[in-house]
Amino acid sequence: MVVCSSQGLLSILRKLKSTPDQEVRILLLGLDNGGKTTLLKQLASEDISHITPTQGFNIKSVQSQGFKLNVWDIGGQRKIRPYWRNYFENTDVLIYVIDSADRKRFEETGQELAELLDEEKLSGVPVLIFANKQDLLTAAPASEIAEGLNLHTIRDRMWQIQSCSALTGEGIQVSYTPHICVVLMSERLHLHMR
Amino acid sequence: MLGYIWQYVYTSFLRYWVKWFIRQATGKCELQRICSGYKPGATRATKAEYSLQSSKNQVLRQALKTNKDNLEQRVDQIMQEKNIKPQKDPLFKESLTVCLLQITGYSSLYVSVEDLRKEVFSSDNPEHEAMLLKLWDLLMPTVKLESRITKQWGDIGFQGDDPKTDFRGMGMLGLINLVFFSENYTEEARQVLSHANHPKLGYSYAIVGINLTEMAYSLLKSGALKPHFYNTVLGTPELQHFHQLYCYLAYEFDKFWLSEEPESIMQFNQYREKFHNNIKAHLQDPDVSLILTVRTKA
Repeated sequence: MVVCSSQGLLSILRKLKSTPDQEVRILLLGLDNGGKTTLLKQLASEDISHITPTQGFNIKSVQSQGFKLNVWDIGGQRKIRPYWRNYFENTDVLIYVIDSADRKRFEETGQELAELLDEEKLSGVPVLIFANKQDLLTAAPASEIAEGLNLHTIRDRMWQIQSCSALTGEGIQVSYTPHICVVLMSERLHLHMR
Repeated sequence: MLGYIWQYVYTSFLRYWVKWFIRQATGKCELQRICSGYKPGATRATKAEYSLQSSKNQVLRQALKTNKDNLEQRVDQIMQEKNIKPQKDPLFKESLTVCLLQITGYSSLYVSVEDLRKEVFSSDNPEHEAMLLKLWDLLMPTVKLESRITKQWGDIGFQGDDPKTDFRGMGMLGLINLVFFSENYTEEARQVLSHANHPKLGYSYAIVGINLTEMAYSLLKSGALKPHFYNTVLGTPELQHFHQLYCYLAYEFDKFWLSEEPESIMQFNQYREKFHNNIKAHLQDPDVSLILTVRTKA
């Protein structure tokens, strides 16, 4: 990964993103039951105890560090995955959520991620992968997941993997996640400028 | 602003004196006037609830928190406090009892519903498993489930090959509602399922059902369902009344969805919100009753 001071990058980003309210479009994808909606609600500091499976999509705007993050949470069931592509356009950061305890579906989730990274409309878009459900004893550590997904072979974009528990809030601190998103984005812009 | 001041002045000072004055003039206390002035139902129970809540008398306020077993005793206490003679107002005792059963029953119904919601579906629980299989058999009488973990679950609108992960925040409440609808309105449930499996206007039957359970639950929690239950149950509302309300929502949502002809399932939340607002508007009507009416069988 490109290492730079995030402060300097933030100012570059601010200059480049000259829209008055500096909106950032974040796309939240992953298999069903991965925890996308729980993550979304945690980011928006909302109650997470009555969550139901997402039919269609949810969207929330979160204000953070002078940016307005519009987070799109799209349902993950197989039947509606074909609709994912309708939401690719103008995405600034892709967040991909994985249920770290659902080992039976690691292959499926890896395939879906690989297909996303091949999408033309998402080319170069930084990806933040959440190895979710770390509160469960059976959860695989993020390092194991990164290896299984061959993340180290990604060369065409910024990426980061982060272990978390959307349920307890661990690893997705409300200010931290937007921060990572912004850093990933600014690094992308910095690369373009060189 | 002026409205706030008036409200404050009225509830803190004026209301008491107005009530005292009318009492002197009519010889009846506010509760008596409510019980004799309105027919049984939402208006009467809501007014009685407000009257008890804002009473300065401990006995009256406490009555709202009483349980079913002590209710008669509470009513007697209120009549004593308010000096109401059964000979003079023979209908009062029965009327107030019904109101209190409705008011306190609503709170205890919420407690029972919340318990079911918190009960997590567990594959190790034979009862839970049996209920899930029953749902399949009720909805798909001619198709046999090939195994417990199978893609077939998608045919009744679960997301993956094991429905257990779909109950989530609604727990057993979601499953019980789905089974109740299929069991008590079998024909209607199968009809709704066939609409849900429509290639173009379709949606995921079970998932949408669990979403509608969430709608019913949050309406109950916020108190919005009070007028509905006060009108439709002249006594203590029970769990089955809540399940009945779910049936109404499931059936009506299907009708609504078909009539709106949404572009695709991705529009679900938008139409869900619209439907939710329609229901909330219905609940503003004091005569509301959200009862599923189906054609009677010949």
